[in-house]
Amino acid sequence: MTRQALDLTINGESHQLMVEPHWSLLHVLRRELGMTGTKENCLEAECGVCTVLLDGKAVNSCILLAEQARGRSIVTIEGLGDPEHLHPLQAAFIEHGAVQCGYCIPGMILTAKSFLDERHGRVPSEAEVREALSGTLCRCTGYQKIVDAVIAAARQMNSWPEAARKA
Amino acid sequence: MSLNASSRSAPPAMSFSFHRPGSLDAAIAFAREQGDAARFLAGGTDLIIQINRGRVAPRHLISLDGLGLDRIDEAATEYAIGAMVTHDAVVNHPGFQTNLVALAQASAVVGGRQVRNIATVGGNIVNASPAADLVPVLLALDATVDLRGLNGTRSMPLDRFLVERGRTERRPEEILTAVRFDKPPAASATWFLKAGRRKAMEISVICVAAQLVRGGKARIAIGAAASRTVRVPDAEVLVERQGAAAFREAGRIAADAVAPIDDVRASARYRKLLVAALVERALVACAGRIERGEA
Ligand SMILES: Cc1cc2nc3c(=O)[nH]c(=O)nc-3n(C[C@H](O)[C@H](O)[C@H](O)COP(=O)(O)OP(=O)(O)OC[C@H]3O[C@@H](n4cnc5c(N)ncnc54)[C@H](O)[C@@H]3O)c2cc1C
Ligand code: FES
Ligand code: FES
Repeated sequence: MTRQALDLTINGESHQLMVEPHWSLLHVLRRELGMTGTKENCLEAECGVCTVLLDGKAVNSCILLAEQARGRSIVTIEGLGDPEHLHPLQAAFIEHGAVQCGYCIPGMILTAKSFLDERHGRVPSEAEVREALSGTLCRCTGYQKIVDAVIAAARQMNSWPEAARKA
Repeated sequence: MSLNASSRSAPPAMSFSFHRPGSLDAAIAFAREQGDAARFLAGGTDLIIQINRGRVAPRHLISLDGLGLDRIDEAATEYAIGAMVTHDAVVNHPGFQTNLVALAQASAVVGGRQVRNIATVGGNIVNASPAADLVPVLLALDATVDLRGLNGTRSMPLDRFLVERGRTERRPEEILTAVRFDKPPAASATWFLKAGRRKAMEISVICVAAQLVRGGKARIAIGAAASRTVRVPDAEVLVERQGAAAFREAGRIAADAVAPIDDVRASARYRKLLVAALVERALVACAGRIERGEA
């Protein structure tokens, strides 16, 4: 037991934790903080259900040590809108029926968000969306509705002013 | 040990301590002190999985984050890619979209976005996996690696650095700081091709990189076809002498030169067929780009 103090910034809030050096960020989110929106499955960066944003970029939290997130900004699905104020991606997923069991959806939405944010509002092609989501597996939907939802959200976000898009 | 589902999320058998040295020299000195018990941590996309599988059990992880190795430097005659540069940064670098596009092509097919956002160029090289996608491209560019150790930095050709699967010339305390290569002339092109079992998120069954310089050198390098990534000098010389007329023959020579293995992903015979086809195709692509002035 050699726990070390670690401050993590998650969804804009600072959390003071005592962590084992080998704990993954996923472990800290789910077991230490009870933030179970981030899912766990393969634990080897193959399935993408554990995806979170690290300084805005999608990463697999299952193989990221919590220590590697020190001093950086983490966003989880809990930080992306709420039932009254859905993020355009969340609204589009609902509207397009892109959710079945839901297990892959937090990772799917965050993967899509990092992809769309990097493109500064340019609406992607279907092929580009499929490639962007290739590290995030869905065993239910067959992907078509997910892809449609991401493109629809991109169109909507594209119509936002620059400042609102970054939020 | 129980084999139920929950055992998958068990912490690794042996824990380690995590170190964040303030300088490269401090990192090197600490690594020297700890010897085999320490490992450098870059993105961790390979190392953490190896630890979790119990394949390696370092007692100390030495983070290379925040030590200034995450830059791509462009000088008058060369590029230097810092070891901590991510594959994502390579994909998006403006200098790697024309006659160095093979770099972006190779980094673009390393895992999915989540892996590319954190996995580094240095990790791809030091791992010395014969299937590392960026390595054939760097070999085709005659790249040099910089290794910083107790007595400063030494450099050597990447071709010499790579020994075999999982083995390099790196001493345990040495940090790969950068990989460098000359800027190619305007009338030149590079191309990278990868064959996997599916389009994305797949380790290469075969990967091939080529560089052609008009009226000059030809380079052909092949990954996942032998115990390390290899160049094919005989095929290169033939292409340098005979140009496009020799592209198909170069593929045949390359297929003869490699020693692929049979494994779960492909047979050795299939891999040789792929080598012949992809080498020819990569050379044709390079020639076409030079011809069309896309280089
Ligand atoms: C799901 C998944 C898919 C993948 N797909 C591909 C793929 O398609 N193609 C491919 O090529 N690879 C693939 N990889 C492998 C891996 O992601 C890459 O090789 C990556 O570039 C490794 O970089 P890293 O920074 O994560 O290395 P790390 O895991 O941090 O390090 C790897 C090894 O190199 C050492 N090391 C790292 N940097 C240095 C340095 N600067 N100096 C000295 N030693 C160092 C470490 O000690 C360690 O032993 C995949 C991995 C995963 C998890
Ligand atoms: S649980 Fe992290 S990628 Fe599958
Ligand atoms: S909705 Fe069930 S896995 Fe995607």
